Amino acid sequence: MYQFNFKYELKSLLRNGWIQLMTLLLLGLFLFAFYNGNEKVDKRKNDIQAAFNEVKESDQNMLLLLDSVQRGVEVSASRWTIPTKPMAVGNYHPRVAAMNPGPLAFVATGQSDLFSHYIKPKASGDDMALNFTEISNPVQQLFGSFDLAFVIIYLLPLIIIAFTYNVLSSEKESGTLRLLASQPISMRSWVLQKMGIRLFWVVLMIGVVLILVSVIIPSGVNIGELLPVSGVTLGYIFFWFALAFAVNLWVGSSSKNAIALIGLWLVFVLLIPSVLNQMGNALYPMPSRTLMINEMRSAKAEATKKQDQILDNFLRDHPEYAINDPNQNRSFYHRYMASQQLVREELQPVVGRFERQLQNQQQWISQLKWVSPAIIVQQELNALAGSSTKDYENYRKQVTAFAESWRQHLLPFLYNNKPFSTDDYENLPEFQYQRLTSDTTLISIIALVLIALIGVILGFLKGIGSQSTEKFITQ
Amino acid sequence: MIQSTLIKELRELLRDGRVRISFLIVLLLIAVATWISKTQYTITNQQYQQADNEERAVWENQGEKNPHSAAHYGTYAFKPKYPLSLVDQGVDKFTGTSIFLEAHKRNEAQFSKAADQTGLARFGDLTPDFVLLFIIPLLIVFLGYNAFTKEREMGTLVLLKSQGTPIWKLIFGKWLALFLPVFTIVFLLFIVAGIVLTNLENYGVFNWDSLGMLFLVYMGYYIIFINMVLFISLKLKKSGIALVVALATWILACLAVPKAASNIAESKHPYPTRQEFASNILQDQKEGLDGHDPWNKQAKLLEKKVLQEYKVDSLEQLPFNFDAYRMQKGEEHTAEIYLKHYKHLKTQFEEQSKLYRGLAVLSPFLPARFMSMAIANTDYATHWHFADAAENYRVELQAFLNGNFAENSAYGEWSYRANADTWKNMPQFGYDPPELGETLATNTSNLVILSVWVLGTFLLLFFTTKKL
Repeated sequence: MYQFNFKYELKSLLRNGWIQLMTLLLLGLFLFAFYNGNEKVDKRKNDIQAAFNEVKESDQNMLLLLDSVQRGVEVSASRWTIPTKPMAVGNYHPRVAAMNPGPLAFVATGQSDLFSHYIKPKASGDDMALNFTEISNPVQQLFGSFDLAFVIIYLLPLIIIAFTYNVLSSEKESGTLRLLASQPISMRSWVLQKMGIRLFWVVLMIGVVLILVSVIIPSGVNIGELLPVSGVTLGYIFFWFALAFAVNLWVGSSSKNAIALIGLWLVFVLLIPSVLNQMGNALYPMPSRTLMINEMRSAKAEATKKQDQILDNFLRDHPEYAINDPNQNRSFYHRYMASQQLVREELQPVVGRFERQLQNQQQWISQLKWVSPAIIVQQELNALAGSSTKDYENYRKQVTAFAESWRQHLLPFLYNNKPFSTDDYENLPEFQYQRLTSDTTLISIIALVLIALIGVILGFLKGIGSQSTEKFITQ
Repeated sequence: MIQSTLIKELRELLRDGRVRISFLIVLLLIAVATWISKTQYTITNQQYQQADNEERAVWENQGEKNPHSAAHYGTYAFKPKYPLSLVDQGVDKFTGTSIFLEAHKRNEAQFSKAADQTGLARFGDLTPDFVLLFIIPLLIVFLGYNAFTKEREMGTLVLLKSQGTPIWKLIFGKWLALFLPVFTIVFLLFIVAGIVLTNLENYGVFNWDSLGMLFLVYMGYYIIFINMVLFISLKLKKSGIALVVALATWILACLAVPKAASNIAESKHPYPTRQEFASNILQDQKEGLDGHDPWNKQAKLLEKKVLQEYKVDSLEQLPFNFDAYRMQKGEEHTAEIYLKHYKHLKTQFEEQSKLYRGLAVLSPFLPARFMSMAIANTDYATHWHFADAAENYRVELQAFLNGNFAENSAYGEWSYRANADTWKNMPQFGYDPPELGETLATNTSNLVILSVWVLGTFLLLFFTTKKL
């Protein structure tokens, strides 16, 4: 019976063009999504490369200038930009702190359209002034990107729904169910088989399409690296099939099934995420950025008023700099850097509040994401692509730490009144981005499969509740 | 016949449990979304008022200071929230809300709300525009997909044919049966929104005209969907298939095309990155605007010119502080450089907008979305308008400060302190968004596209079917 069923299904699916249509549709969608994802990643790589090249060029100039000054040659540059001054190096020759894309970055745009992927922190700039957001047309951010994550999370379920909503009902509506009822097979295992065959086809087609697309658009990823993405996608597909199975057994006519499934899609993909997000915001509200500006302003105003006193305190706390403090030689930067240090320390709790609330919200989502498979998949794909909220938070932290080490590297020159020289160039700190790895992939896949199993069991319960096929027919 | 079709259809809809549930859900969603938006609107506006007042106080109470120090100290321009954002939040969440106004530099608006949210927020927010733009068209699909297929399936089509009524009357009856419920819900929502807005304290620039226009835009958008769904139902034989096709249309129009458009716009007309943008400006500052006459060269010429004009031979003899005068000229020069680079951004933005308008052929969602945001003053163009106003104010502020410096001190007198009252003399930054007429004038193409969609789908529905 099983073999027969399989053959029959395959024939009918091929004859009414479903398989051909699906393959083309999937191929088109995946191709477009891959292309878009790759284009974004390429642009990101090129931008970063261009920034490095620019720094390299300006470094050559800096070394030439340094060399000239050391040999006592007159230089034409403005006095305050000559790199023997450590603050000139710190401000006019910053290093690139880049967040290079990971191998799977093309999978999900995530938060990457909001943030910059390279920053050049200056020695005198305060961390508050480090702007991590990217300039772009906000309409693009509002509409979102047509990436692989969009195809998987939003479109794949709809394709599955279109493929499965009438598995049982169409037989009922065309009257063939009565014939089937005469066969020695139970209704639920028969529906399960039909579903299994479709699941098999969808998975097979996605597999083929994935391989085809990675041949057509080489993204430099090997199939092995795509495995976690495939795993999560499979789990998600399994979930929607299970749901369709349950709905087919519980609900009735084709249209009713379709409406029920679309309703569920709406709930899982659009409503639950936005409600959870809204609740997260209500439970852990972000403090106001506009009011933060007020606090920042008054802290800075206070610091500016007391700059001399601050410098004295600073030197008291840092005797290593005070040794050769020639009081007469105190420049603007001596006072400025010391007061900036204080402002940073004072504002730390204010800035920390934002990060903490963001972490709280993230925590809240990780606890409740199990409510909707769409959220599980979104969070997981973003994490794999390295474009999640956490990744950008991690990057911000690393850049802030790097900005601090950049300053700390140059401060001894400033306070010891030691000129910066060509020999010191070698020792300038470089930024190296440490990527996060996702350790929840396996748990997510298991969770998706478990949720799917609930759907299958629900379907079976209906089957047990109405042992005879008669009920299905007469319903 | 129109009337009896209408009454029959409405009665059927009322009897259908699914329809009652969907209606209830939509109403509930609208209520929750409006409530959330209203709360947010009130809080944001309070914070805006507070921040604006405090910042002004900080500015006025700087005490005695050199005007150029005050220029570096700077001030902030805050973007107010507009009343109609209650209906459509538009791109507000993705644009910054505060611009730092300082000497020598034009800054971007900082602190977008989206950057302070988790990835979950990218699924979309529960706001009235979400319900209006996505859910109600979906409701139309659910209500109308079987308008004709059910007659076919139940065999009543034969009876209808035997009546001998013209097809258009039948179609129009069904059309009305879909239109009236949608009209009622949306009308109620807009009335409630209007009442909520007029009852809020200092609701600012809200007027009923804009709300009315917004209502018309949405009605046009729904009419397009009603026409398309009925057309699909008319042409297909089975309810199930009609539903799937109608849903596919919805997905294409509301989800797929806008996202694809966003990718195409971004890759065809890309913005520079923030760092690139900054370094291009730096380049022009170093080497002069477009590579000729860097500022220090121009400054030398200026020096000569001023000396000649006043017929004196040293800067000390001038009746004003030349340092400050030169600084003002330098400021004007920098402003020009910024203008050039922002113009480039604006060109890219306009090119992208054109592309969106071109792709509106594929989706009525695009013109409706853009019109709605524009009327609600939450679109990107309004943000530009605000940013430009802030830049104008910045330029005025610099002129005021440098003017004070030049008039009241001698050349080289950097120790000059303006007295503590000076800062009050600079008027506070105020911003008025474009009026409705202006918005409509700049968005005529979107209006035209939307109207073409309405007319086109009407023609499709009423004139392509000769017999059932």
